[in-house]
Amino acid sequence: MKNQLKFRTVFLVFLSVFFITSGFSQEVEKAKVRLKADYVKVMGGEVYFNINASAKVNDENIKVPDLDLTIYNEVGDEKIKLGEAKTDVNGDGKLVLESLNSIKPDSTNTYNVSISFKGNDSFKRASKSLSFRDAAIEAKLITEDSINYISATLIDNSIDSLIVGALLRVQVQRLFKPLKIGEEYNITDDDGTVVVTIPEGIPGEDGNLIVEVVLYESDAFGTVKALVQAPVGSVKVVDESTFNQRTMWSPRNKTPLFMLIFPNLLILGIWGFIIYLFINLFKIAKS
Amino acid sequence: MNNYDASLINDLAPRKFTKRGVIWTSFLVILIILGIIAYADQLIKGQVVTSMRDYALWGIYISNFVFFVATSFVGSVAVAILRLSKKSWRTPLVRIAEIITFASISMAGITIMIDMARPDRLLYLFIYGRLQSPIIWDVIIIPTFLAISFLLLYYPLLPDFAILKNHFKEKNSTLSKWYGRLSLNWSGSEVQKAVQSRAIKILAVLILPVGIVLQTIDAWLFSTTYRIGWDSTNFGPYFIAGAFVAGMGALIAVVYVVRRVRNLENYITDLHFDKLGKLLVLACLIYLYFNINEYLIPFFTAKKGEMTHLDVLFTGHYAPLFWFVTIGGLIIPIIVLMFKKGRKPFPMFIIALLVVVASWWKRYLIVTPTLLHPFLPIQGVPESWHHYFPSLHEWIITTATLAMALLIITLLVRYLPVIPIERTAEERELLKNNKNIES
Amino acid sequence: MEEDKKKSRRKFFELGIKFGLLATVGSVAAVKAMDDEDSNGMVELMSTDGNIIQVPASEAHEVSNSPKDYDPRVGFPGKKFVMVVDLAKCTNALKCQEACNKGHYITGDNAWLKVYKMQESEKTAPYWMPTQCQHCDSPPCVTVCPVDATFKRQDGIVLIDNERCIGCRFCMAACPYSTRVFNWNEPEQPAEAHEGEYTPDYCGTPSVKGTVDKCDFCPHEIVKGELPFCVKACPNDVFAFGDKYEDAVTNGSGQTFVLSTLLKDRAGHRLLEGLGTEPSVYYLPPVDRLGSFEEGLENYSEFESVKKPE
Repeated sequence: MKNQLKFRTVFLVFLSVFFITSGFSQEVEKAKVRLKADYVKVMGGEVYFNINASAKVNDENIKVPDLDLTIYNEVGDEKIKLGEAKTDVNGDGKLVLESLNSIKPDSTNTYNVSISFKGNDSFKRASKSLSFRDAAIEAKLITEDSINYISATLIDNSIDSLIVGALLRVQVQRLFKPLKIGEEYNITDDDGTVVVTIPEGIPGEDGNLIVEVVLYESDAFGTVKALVQAPVGSVKVVDESTFNQRTMWSPRNKTPLFMLIFPNLLILGIWGFIIYLFINLFKIAKS
Repeated sequence: MNNYDASLINDLAPRKFTKRGVIWTSFLVILIILGIIAYADQLIKGQVVTSMRDYALWGIYISNFVFFVATSFVGSVAVAILRLSKKSWRTPLVRIAEIITFASISMAGITIMIDMARPDRLLYLFIYGRLQSPIIWDVIIIPTFLAISFLLLYYPLLPDFAILKNHFKEKNSTLSKWYGRLSLNWSGSEVQKAVQSRAIKILAVLILPVGIVLQTIDAWLFSTTYRIGWDSTNFGPYFIAGAFVAGMGALIAVVYVVRRVRNLENYITDLHFDKLGKLLVLACLIYLYFNINEYLIPFFTAKKGEMTHLDVLFTGHYAPLFWFVTIGGLIIPIIVLMFKKGRKPFPMFIIALLVVVASWWKRYLIVTPTLLHPFLPIQGVPESWHHYFPSLHEWIITTATLAMALLIITLLVRYLPVIPIERTAEERELLKNNKNIES
Repeated sequence: MEEDKKKSRRKFFELGIKFGLLATVGSVAAVKAMDDEDSNGMVELMSTDGNIIQVPASEAHEVSNSPKDYDPRVGFPGKKFVMVVDLAKCTNALKCQEACNKGHYITGDNAWLKVYKMQESEKTAPYWMPTQCQHCDSPPCVTVCPVDATFKRQDGIVLIDNERCIGCRFCMAACPYSTRVFNWNEPEQPAEAHEGEYTPDYCGTPSVKGTVDKCDFCPHEIVKGELPFCVKACPNDVFAFGDKYEDAVTNGSGQTFVLSTLLKDRAGHRLLEGLGTEPSVYYLPPVDRLGSFEEGLENYSEFESVKKPE
């Protein structure tokens, strides 16, 4: 009897605690944030992490802005803070490193990085971990028999060897997105190299083209990008418009000459008469 | 000056409004006030109060404007053309013609501003104007024509004002004083007469080409676009001929009314109506020629765009209006006025009214149907946008502009001698002298 | 979202410089060039993010670009924008229209981008044709404007200055493509449309009563290095947009094509070519279609192009 009572009270207390706490948590249904992260290295340039935060709200994928993210370098059991980033309107955040040397790799020469989000009123906490090894692309312009090529070699810096069978993108920089050149799939050969022909007649400023060789979002190495100056394009037109000419659709400071001269002469001529006639009215009044 | 027939002056001098005149004027003023109220509403709410939308983007404001411009051509005809052909019968009619011209072109200037959705930016036309734009050509030619038609009305009035000053000296001293001021101290001296006659010669020569240019530029507002029904090389002369018809119709109608109201049967005789009738027939024949070029010839090549336009006019939505305008406004006047009996004053008046009304609706047929069959199909807009019929606001405002034109004419007829007094007197002297010599 | 809309016009110009330089020095934007060329022919520069990077000396030149250099009436220097519309891919999904309406706060009854149901004659195939302002090189609308309110820029874009327009609608009468719309009354736009200083670069912010509006080829997106709303929104990659001088156009998925090759291989044409307006929009014929024409009929509403909020 006494035991039964004890059990009942415990059970009731348990139930009430359960309902109270679940009542609190039910006030805010926090959504889950999905973090995507990529390590990007530009040869001779920036080294950074590209982070994107998105969430599924009401069955729709939305970008999550204004999230405070912290990026850590995990070495052994240590968690060294590398920096912070905040996502913009598109849910994109970026942390630029001074160089790769600011992170410490582990014993296998692999760099381990984690990005974490502490959570806020609308979103649950989330984290994403990233592991990569350092790779490099050595790209150069070759001209042979008056044909221009880009030769690019992919090297795994952590073990100092060539990477065979990797898919590289070779593309010419354009205004919005780059123009792919080469085959549909440019795979590095046994020498870890791809050779891609630069087609003739690609316009560039003063004939200068910038070709990108990109290892794009690889699991092992992240994204590696090399830029090559290739002054082998055709000279880009600077202005073919009629903007500086006198045309029927120009603003008034560039009216066609006949439009300026002929009507104005007519107007002056006729209004000359009209003004003369108005003056003559005064003449009549005076006499 | 004092030798002039006292009865002549009495006949031709302005008289006070009769009861009819007061009622007529009050009626016009009421219409104008209603129009101003409707316009204020349009300014506040925007042009959404009209039936115009993105496809029927011009409506009766523009066709009304074109009508006013066309009617103002009568000055060029009555004054310049008749003067060049030295027709003496024109004398009693020129002042009325000049009055109609002045009223029409003034109203044209006002009416076009009603169609501007941002009249607060009116000055931009002058500050930022582009000479390449046909609208700017319009902005230039209308004030030019207005100035010339004003001068052409005013210069011949000078001796008449002097006569009226004397005429009203005892009866109405204020009026006499005003006539005196307006006569610019006219004394009939050699110097003044020389200046005046040279001025009138210059004006008579100017008004014809300027009038023709005015009508042409008005036509070019349409024919400088790609639209089917507007993109026609015929439009310039087509509009000139149309203006000739509209102007003549307005002249005959106003002449008839003024003659009746002022009992001017001795001055404006059946002969005048006979001549005016023949002139109107000529105008209609010329206009008919251009209409055939514009509406019949495209059937030959039957291009799809042209056929859509012609179908809509001949057998489609606008057919009743089109046939009324063509038969009522052109064919019937030609037939009736070919006969001497048709050229009597009263039948002429009816025909003239018919011509004027048909002219007004003709411009509606030029503006609206074309806009409703653009190159690309009308899609993605409310069903009502496929049609156009003027809204109440548009009718009230348009009627007000017509009332204002009539008011200007009424007031000018009230205060100005509708028949040039001095010229009539001089011509009669000439006739008398000739008779004396003969006898 | 709020952040973006609060960007002032100043920021716009700053983005403009960034963008212009982007084109010359790749993914690295040089703000100040220091003339210390090292042994490798490399120069040290500071990027806009404040980092020191190395760039080949040949690519770093002093640029005099300042915010004052971008004139909305002149446009982006050294470019001419063209659009390619692939009629073979259009299934009247209308995502382009939705994106354009939303991005420009269009709340009237006439959208600036309309997908026409076309069929030239009984026996020829029906197809869907997205049509917006063609930004003609010989624009009849600009020619007839009496007050220089609509103007043609050096980069090919035709814009409207809503603070100059007098509402005569002559440009609308002159346009053979019927692409201009008019604000017959006070437009009911959300507060965002009224933020910032007015610039003709972003049509619809705000729309002004008694003036004309139309497609602006999105210079406000171009300056950010992004494609126009319609190009980004199309699920079928119907639109491709780019710089004619670069001979490249990019579609919504980010694929870039050589423009001249595309037009030659796919037999591109322009609308109403015979009128001589020289439009900047090329159409690829509806051959080897992506979907059937009938699929698009579901979405077709003859009398509506702007969805109103319920």
